[in-house]
Amino acid sequence: MRYIPNTEKQKEEMLKEIGVSSFTDLLKDIPDSVLLKTDLNIPGPINEQKLTERIYDISKKNADFFSIKPLVGAGAYRHFIPEVVKTITAREEFYTSYTPYQPEVSQGNLQSMFEYQTHIAKLTGMDVVVPSIYDGASATAEAVLMAMRLSKKNKILVSSLLHPHYLETVRTYTEPHKMEIITIPYKNILTDIENFEKNLTDDVAAFVIQSPNFLGGIENVSEFARIAHQKNVLIIQVIAESLSLGILKSPGEADVDIVAGEAQSFGMDLDFGGPYNGYLASKMKYIRQIPGRITGETTDKNGNRGFVMTFRAREQDIRREKATSNICSNHALNIVAGNVYLSLLGKRGLKSLADLNFKSAHYLRKKLLDTKAFSGPDYPFFNEFILKSDKKEETIDLLMKKGFVPPLDLSKFYPELEGYLLFAVTEIFTKKDLDFIAGLFSR
Amino acid sequence: MGYKIPEELKYTKNDEWLKVDGEIGTVGITDYAQDKLGDIVYLEEIEKGKKIKAGETLTTIESVKAASDIYSPVSGEIVEVNEDTIKDPSIINKDPYGKGWIVKIKIENPAEIDKLMTPKEYSEYRKE
Amino acid sequence: MKLIYEKSVKGRIGFSIPEDSFDEISVDIPEYAKPHKEYDLPEVSEPDVVRHFTKLSKLNYGVDDGLYPLGSCTMKYNPKINEKLANLDNFLYAHPFAPERYVQGSLQIMFELGELLNEITGMDKFSMMPAAGAHGELTGVLMIRKYFESKGKPRHKMIIPDSAHGTNPASSAMAGFRVVEVKSNERGGVDISELEKIMDEDTAGLMLTNPNTVGLFDENILKIADIVHSKGGLLYYDGANLNALLGIVRPGDAGFDLLHLNLHKTFSTPHGGGGPGAGVVGAKKELIEFLPSPIVCKNEKGYFFEFPKNSIGRVRAFYGNFSVLVKAYAWILSMGPQGLREAAETSIINANYVLAKLKDYYKPAYDRTCMHECVLTGREYKKYGVRTLDISKRLMDYGFHPPTIYFPHFEPYAEETIMIEPPESESKETLDSFIEAMIKISKEARTKPELLKEAPHSTPVGRLDEVKAVKNPKLHY
Repeated sequence: MRYIPNTEKQKEEMLKEIGVSSFTDLLKDIPDSVLLKTDLNIPGPINEQKLTERIYDISKKNADFFSIKPLVGAGAYRHFIPEVVKTITAREEFYTSYTPYQPEVSQGNLQSMFEYQTHIAKLTGMDVVVPSIYDGASATAEAVLMAMRLSKKNKILVSSLLHPHYLETVRTYTEPHKMEIITIPYKNILTDIENFEKNLTDDVAAFVIQSPNFLGGIENVSEFARIAHQKNVLIIQVIAESLSLGILKSPGEADVDIVAGEAQSFGMDLDFGGPYNGYLASKMKYIRQIPGRITGETTDKNGNRGFVMTFRAREQDIRREKATSNICSNHALNIVAGNVYLSLLGKRGLKSLADLNFKSAHYLRKKLLDTKAFSGPDYPFFNEFILKSDKKEETIDLLMKKGFVPPLDLSKFYPELEGYLLFAVTEIFTKKDLDFIAGLFSR
Repeated sequence: MGYKIPEELKYTKNDEWLKVDGEIGTVGITDYAQDKLGDIVYLEEIEKGKKIKAGETLTTIESVKAASDIYSPVSGEIVEVNEDTIKDPSIINKDPYGKGWIVKIKIENPAEIDKLMTPKEYSEYRKE
Repeated sequence: MKLIYEKSVKGRIGFSIPEDSFDEISVDIPEYAKPHKEYDLPEVSEPDVVRHFTKLSKLNYGVDDGLYPLGSCTMKYNPKINEKLANLDNFLYAHPFAPERYVQGSLQIMFELGELLNEITGMDKFSMMPAAGAHGELTGVLMIRKYFESKGKPRHKMIIPDSAHGTNPASSAMAGFRVVEVKSNERGGVDISELEKIMDEDTAGLMLTNPNTVGLFDENILKIADIVHSKGGLLYYDGANLNALLGIVRPGDAGFDLLHLNLHKTFSTPHGGGGPGAGVVGAKKELIEFLPSPIVCKNEKGYFFEFPKNSIGRVRAFYGNFSVLVKAYAWILSMGPQGLREAAETSIINANYVLAKLKDYYKPAYDRTCMHECVLTGREYKKYGVRTLDISKRLMDYGFHPPTIYFPHFEPYAEETIMIEPPESESKETLDSFIEAMIKISKEARTKPELLKEAPHSTPVGRLDEVKAVKNPKLHY
């Protein structure tokens, strides 16, 4: 097999050096009853050419997704990814390397982590950044557990406009602790602040609010934070569309305690849902309770600057059952992707892109409302919004037929929103595209 | 291996030492423990006035490559916390039995002291 | 090397900003969300970025550079064709909320991979959802927890061997279990009499890695399974070391009820500097209903998502690390049944070869035939003032990434450990060079210990001050 260098002859030589006459001697500790007596019943081996054809054929059973632009986001946003991101992440030194436990031979990964931590620290306005948790949902769950440990309380308030997958994940992670979770309803597509205040009791550890929220709404995070802090309750801001950090007030400026984010918009393809890259950020005073790998700057014995993983005593290999989390491997390569993406864009690029997303989404909403085939509430949003169609199924079918991934049917997550669709518009759509889409519905 | 084990102290299996002065017990970690931990970088805050039972966690001590819980050798009330050590835990590495003390406890039940190890017993226990 | 921030020049940009023709729309952000603090990102051109990251990459070491003998990490060759196939447009641009009929190809990959893994491991159904091994472990122990709760008889303890990877107790604690440790015996396996003593009807089960972290197959596996099952407990398999068993033993045949696999170890998907991998979870029939939701099923109409009735819920958004799944799928098909067995055989021979050649220089933790990894110790060099850490740093000067050190760690057998795993993609010549380097270093330890204590000498930076990094934290520029 072409991936296995050692020949039968070489293996024989090695067996001789080991001091056994055949390979099966090396299996003597295994009870005979569990040893397989026949080959596994699986297909293959198939050669590279056949493999290529086979997987191409399978991929053809998918729609031509490159050409089919998605009018849906909901936690996965199609943005244009500059080719350099791919070139760099395809370098073997990045993608075939291991966790940087030996820093002297891993400065590439460690410095890149440090740079990315800096990007996210600046964008979020926070002191401590954990550059990789699996995704936004697990990051949110970890943030909740972190708040539980910090406050020693077992109850949280959660906005009902938190991404449903994220909320489900929080429930799964907190179930063993029998944590009480109270969802705060929304009013006018924003979290109901009065209801929040009413439910804000002394036994609450934290309030989880996503902004922009699942339906695209821009929340008044500062105000929620101000109220929460009066009662010593922590504020966790969740960010699913991190591009929004390009033009919205940072969590740090809003006095948020913990940020749980999804960086997929920074250089990762849709990839049918993963791998993306979650992140956590917090105030410095919480550092010992934040889970995940962190890099720090230091020097070697000659005074040269270098980077190492640090504050390791939080992690599972040292603390075992007392660790802040069980997390070990993360989504490290996507840190490189995010770092390259943000380095290419810079502030000017990020802000322009965020502006463009904002404008494109608002343009489409206006044009769709003008067709009179849609109706919907007016609320501040970034690049996602909801509209109601009285012919929901036909609308979805028409958009699919015309070559777009349709907006999300919200009735599956919010039964009260029957008929509503969640649209997302990114820079992927030209003005011509948007005119065409609206044109499909003009009466 | 040559670890210091002062004669006037009592010891625990988890490498804490206890110095008894009347009804006050001073607690710290042994020379062996500080050596095994390596450079100590952090000590979790300890609440003065807290009542504690023998075997309960006093604090967590953290080095670069390890973290250990420190258990109280005796039951009682924490009457004093060594803020210097909390601020600069490296003192424990430099002077584990002197300036590196961690807390002073008002001993509730003197009979517990006899359950602890003598210097000889601890030396046997930690023989390398 | 300079940070990207230190290369910033005002006015530079590495991105071509798309045209904005929406003059009629203004960016009306509500007052409460308007930023008042500016942020700065680097201002660099595209060539600046390419040079910067190219230079950074050269400070790294990858599997494509040389041997990476990290124990229990299975740093094997990452096939290049698999990278290409995972990145086919129809896969890469598929939105997770696209209607099911438009993603039949993606669902087929997920389903068929599950079927292949069922056969390889002796399980009945897989969830592709967990993103990493630890994530898979958490999923597994949450399933175990729910299994007992659904019977109305919750259990509160989980047994973990002292040799277990830290993620095992950490995952158990996250799932609300009290961890009970069982000691290893003098043969390196689980101490059976101790296990019998501690296994009771409040214990949900035992998490076992087999071969374990000292590279040994636990010969008492059937007895272990019996002890756990006889008290109604479940046996969980940590699949980190499955590379030794491909085509040789199926965990499902050896008494395991559920397991996780590390696709980025056994199944050749790249490590990426620490991820992304995938920690897929497999379960026997009785436990399928607890798998995270959704799972991929098939009927005469095609592939679809199903929601197990007693699912533990979600452990992440969406469905799994899809591109990683494609790579594992492609690897299994490329290897076929004979290739999988050859991989296991070769890795076992490789590890025993290294053990045989080095055991006179570095005393092994156990005097036993190993499986796909061997555990040596650096204990006898202490008298020269040399620690195992020093030995590992000196290896870098010989051009090798060090093996895993200080893990596993349990007294008295596993101390100053050096865990070496030479996967099947390593040639005899590579192993011989590694062996030669280790022998040279053992001589240096005796005659020139300072060389080791000051090592590495030939890397871009020398030994870094990790104490300073914690005492004076500098976590961003």
